[in-house]
Amino acid sequence: MTDIAIGIVSFPALLVLIFLRVPIGLAMFLAGFVGLMFVTGDASLPLARLKSETYTTFSNYSLSIIPMFLLMGYFATLGGMSQALFNAAQSFLGHRKGGVAMAAVGACAGFGAICGSSLATAATMSRVALPELRRYGYSGGFSTATLAAGGTLGILIPPSIVLVIYAILTEQNIAKLFLAAFIPGILAAIGYMIAISIYVRINPDSAGTRPRAPYRERFKALFDVWPVLIVFIAVVGGIYQGWFTPTEGAAVGAFGTGFIAYLAGGLTRSSLAESFYVTARTTAMIFFIVLGAAFYNGFLALTQVPQEAAAWVSASGFSPWTVLILILVFYLLLGCLMDSLSMILLTIPIFWPVIQELDFNLVSMIDLQSARLGDLVASGKDIPAAALEQAQTMLASGQELTRELTRELGLRGVSDGALNRINIEQTAIWFGILVLIVVEVGLITPPVGMNLFVINAMDRDTPMTETYKAILYFVASDLVRVVFLVAFPMVTLVLLPW
Amino acid sequence: MDKLARLFALIGGCVLSLLVVQTCLSIVGRSLNSILHGDFMQSAMPDVADMLLATGVGPINGDFELVQSGMAFVIFAFLPICQLSGAHASVDIFIQNLPTRINHALRMITEVVFAIILVVIAFQFYQGTLSKMNSGQTTFLLQFPLWWAYAFALTGAVATAVVAVYVAAMRLAEVVTQRQILPTELEAGH
Repeated sequence: MTDIAIGIVSFPALLVLIFLRVPIGLAMFLAGFVGLMFVTGDASLPLARLKSETYTTFSNYSLSIIPMFLLMGYFATLGGMSQALFNAAQSFLGHRKGGVAMAAVGACAGFGAICGSSLATAATMSRVALPELRRYGYSGGFSTATLAAGGTLGILIPPSIVLVIYAILTEQNIAKLFLAAFIPGILAAIGYMIAISIYVRINPDSAGTRPRAPYRERFKALFDVWPVLIVFIAVVGGIYQGWFTPTEGAAVGAFGTGFIAYLAGGLTRSSLAESFYVTARTTAMIFFIVLGAAFYNGFLALTQVPQEAAAWVSASGFSPWTVLILILVFYLLLGCLMDSLSMILLTIPIFWPVIQELDFNLVSMIDLQSARLGDLVASGKDIPAAALEQAQTMLASGQELTRELTRELGLRGVSDGALNRINIEQTAIWFGILVLIVVEVGLITPPVGMNLFVINAMDRDTPMTETYKAILYFVASDLVRVVFLVAFPMVTLVLLPW
Repeated sequence: MDKLARLFALIGGCVLSLLVVQTCLSIVGRSLNSILHGDFMQSAMPDVADMLLATGVGPINGDFELVQSGMAFVIFAFLPICQLSGAHASVDIFIQNLPTRINHALRMITEVVFAIILVVIAFQFYQGTLSKMNSGQTTFLLQFPLWWAYAFALTGAVATAVVAVYVAAMRLAEVVTQRQILPTELEAGH
């Protein structure tokens, strides 16, 4: 068998293992290990890699963000921040039609801003919001569906663990990815609220009413949210402003939420131990998948499968958009079965080289020249007036500047290479956000979405089918958003400077 | 076994917390250092600023090296509890409707393979530690021997292997005796 054939055969083998409930990390590890044995002829290479690869993988500085963010999310719960967020959102939105459900979504978005994972957000907010939803007469299926969907905001709104992994795999800047996720995250929250208001209009019996909260109470509830705000601004703002690296930001966040939890009296000896246990389980699970993926991807790279796939797709003449849509549909289907992190680790090393070869023309030469010309004018340097005027007319009429003109203006950073670099970065970020969203839709898609099971298990009176019926409104809202973000890349990318 | 796994999770948690605090202190030191070096402090009260700087206010030297070597231990220390509680992510919708006996047999086979792999990992990691010891490689900034960090993390790797063998043995016993000994896996939250 050729190396490529071995690489291709490894996919179905891996899927069979995963579907036999072999833990995903172990399955990838086995596929990579056995694959390397086949490619190199014996077990000495994979065994030799094991001598230091576990250490180098686990001591990766960028990855150390993950346990810190997990600890931070758990401390945030101990500090009563999930309750405070829900109270605040409820006092402002609760009296509307479907308002308590909207408040749950809003609180999930807020909690997502200090928690990097989806199931943790869903589970934490459910503990707070489910009893309240039921108290105000919201039907069981509607309540569980709302929380399952709201949980997906946890991973979209920065900080996000999956985005950290994506950034490492595609060698992109974590801070930029966080920034790019911001607008899609807000849109998601708004979309879910719209879905809620449509749902309660179609099913008026599914939601009761809650009395309007007086303004004094509202502002008091809002005031209680200050710890969340401070932590979010310190962490995400600090990372973006370059005050500290993402890992340092996560450390600041963990320390901050831990301190707040301590002040709020939520941090006792037993709850601290419990938070270590929870963090330990999740961290170990994630890192074992990362280790397995490192092995599997090392093997795949050796078989040249990713490069060949990329070359094949770009030679096939498919339009970039067709390829993108096919990949997104694939994620949507697989996302129903697998958790987002495993999927990203499994597929991005193959899909990213493919996407990288495609030209979506997100930034044109004219865009780049206009932006750099703007920078130049703003910098207040001496520019030949006639040339400037000529350049501005040319750009306004949709013409690229000639090389002579850029030289005369002293315009820098407008080479083809620079344009290419910017386009690859923009594509990577845009694609990452799209993949993240689509994978999350999988988490709430019946019949197998994982969030649905986790939340439904917390409300034993509600049959699964009730949750299925209500979740369709949220899935529809997600799909509309995906189409919107695919059609208008600028919505995701507008906050990013280049 | 439960005690061993919990003990390692607790130690790992404490080390993680120390790394968090250490990173925060380093940031504070770095900020203070740049404030003291800044124009305002240097012009308003240069003596005070220089005196404080002389005490060594600044980022912790090699802080990220400590994070890296500490984190390798943390992860290995976290693995036993994950192994014991079956918290590894998996996809179970395809086989959950199969008969219980097949399910148990599959789980047993998986755990046995898992245990073998984790023992191999621990053994190779031990070999790696030995070779780092012989090569005398040190870290870049702090210049401490890299094998210290390896050996520290190795304790967790060994504990993981021990727990994995235990879990595999229990699953095997379950299939043989048809009795449930360990709880079935928890829902993996992440």
